[in-house]
Amino acid sequence: MKAATWRGTDEVAVERVPDPTLLNSHDVILKVRQTVTCGSDLHLLGGYIPFMRAGDVLGHEFIGEVVEAGPAVANHRVGDRVVVCSFIACGKCWFCTHEMYSCCDNGNPDPGITEAVWGQSPGGCYGYSHALGGFQGSHADYIRVPYADIGAFPVPDGVSDRRALFASDSAPTGWMGADLSEVGPGDCVAVWGAGAVGQMAARASVLLGADKVIVIDRYGYRLDQVERHIGAETINYEQTDVEAELRERTGGRGPDVCIEAVGMEAHTPGGQYFYDQVKQQLRLQTDRPDAVRQAIQVCRKGGRVFILGVFAGMVDKFPLGAVMNKGLTIRSAQQHGQRYIPRILELMERDELRTEHLATHVMPLDRAPEGYRMFKEKEDGCVRAVFEPAG
Amino acid sequence: MALPKMLTRAAGAAADAGGVVLRRLQNARIPGAGMPPVHDDARRAVARWRVVTVLVSPDQVGVADDVPRPLADFRDRIEIRVTPAPGDKGTELAARFRGPASDDDIGELRSALRRAKQLLEVGEVLRVDPVSHGRREPTPQGELLEEAATQAPKGGVL
Repeated sequence: MKAATWRGTDEVAVERVPDPTLLNSHDVILKVRQTVTCGSDLHLLGGYIPFMRAGDVLGHEFIGEVVEAGPAVANHRVGDRVVVCSFIACGKCWFCTHEMYSCCDNGNPDPGITEAVWGQSPGGCYGYSHALGGFQGSHADYIRVPYADIGAFPVPDGVSDRRALFASDSAPTGWMGADLSEVGPGDCVAVWGAGAVGQMAARASVLLGADKVIVIDRYGYRLDQVERHIGAETINYEQTDVEAELRERTGGRGPDVCIEAVGMEAHTPGGQYFYDQVKQQLRLQTDRPDAVRQAIQVCRKGGRVFILGVFAGMVDKFPLGAVMNKGLTIRSAQQHGQRYIPRILELMERDELRTEHLATHVMPLDRAPEGYRMFKEKEDGCVRAVFEPAG
Repeated sequence: MALPKMLTRAAGAAADAGGVVLRRLQNARIPGAGMPPVHDDARRAVARWRVVTVLVSPDQVGVADDVPRPLADFRDRIEIRVTPAPGDKGTELAARFRGPASDDDIGELRSALRRAKQLLEVGEVLRVDPVSHGRREPTPQGELLEEAATQAPKGGVL
């Protein structure tokens, strides 16, 4: 079959790879209908997560059709159209039964690397390096889906592929940030990052009843999407003092909830960015956490900070004093999508959650290298590049 | 020496090093990274209980002649302890060597405990190989990672 693979730093290729096969009784094989680039892929492309091997198939956000099912699969049949959570979870361990699916004990068959680095291993993830299991990614004609009864969800007839695609990762990730931050009526919420995940966190905050939702970014075309499709306010951090602006818009208190949806390659104007870049390139810190620092600094006393962006290792100049003295609560997680996807599909069916606008560029899988370049370089207003293997 | 041959040899050396790197990584002391100042010496490491918590009741785990299959392969080289876990967490399944054991033996025990847990909770062990992938040249960096990934089921902190 055809697949888009990681060949090295900033190098994506389309090549022929063997078709996947059923390996466990609860597997299904999907024919991929649509699969999409994600900002966290850029950390792999940039070489910041050094556990990729040349030839690894990329992609973890996808929708497909069941073409084969293992004997233990109860909920899916050949021909079903399903969206799949990007994180692989067994559904049976203590973490899964407590809806912390991305912390699954049994989703990563190679836990030695992550245990050595983080002390414990999270579950596995499609196409996200040998640290998270070495699973084949979704940028391919076909993909094997383990624990299919737990991680794959039937898409309602009234929901298009283009909309349901984002129920795989962006929408549940964003929803989790708002939900686990306990966003509700009376809250002012600030979201750093107007990519797909940031937009979904903002939309979730709106739907959960927040009084005010403000999204911070530097790209006009992404902020325009926020105003047009999400129903939130915006701040362009290259044109405005973010902290002063947020204080002014929140009665001097600061946001009740700050959701960081940027990750380990944060950009910021000024000397701090240069400092973080130098330290990251010299591997004196692995991640650039500037949006997290800013969220902590501006959050109201006793407020909640949620880290949605992907981080890999160590950061520098972390404002722990502000966390402690302001009494902040910090939470974070890889996405517990299995907990949120059914509700998200319902919202999509009721037209309350729309995601089609995120797919700014749709192209055949053959053009994956071009799609990643456009996505990384933010060419032509690219928010997400979607690949259609059959296209 | 021709370049392809040099690369092949370098790749072979890197593969050997991959397992070593993973072992080093899990014992690394990174200044300022919160690592403990003291690590078990070899004798203490062999004698330490290695424990997984399994979300089943203690009577489902089995003891004596009925231990979970991956652990049964060790026969009388290990002792096994089964105790209820606090709260709703299920059962603590622990094992340790009765006598001397190598690093490889400890790795095998880690892997067996993880497989036992999966069999008890899910009913089968999750597989990832063979995984579909594209062209892989035998580069030193690639071989290093390949070997680290091969060793990963036996590595970690368990």
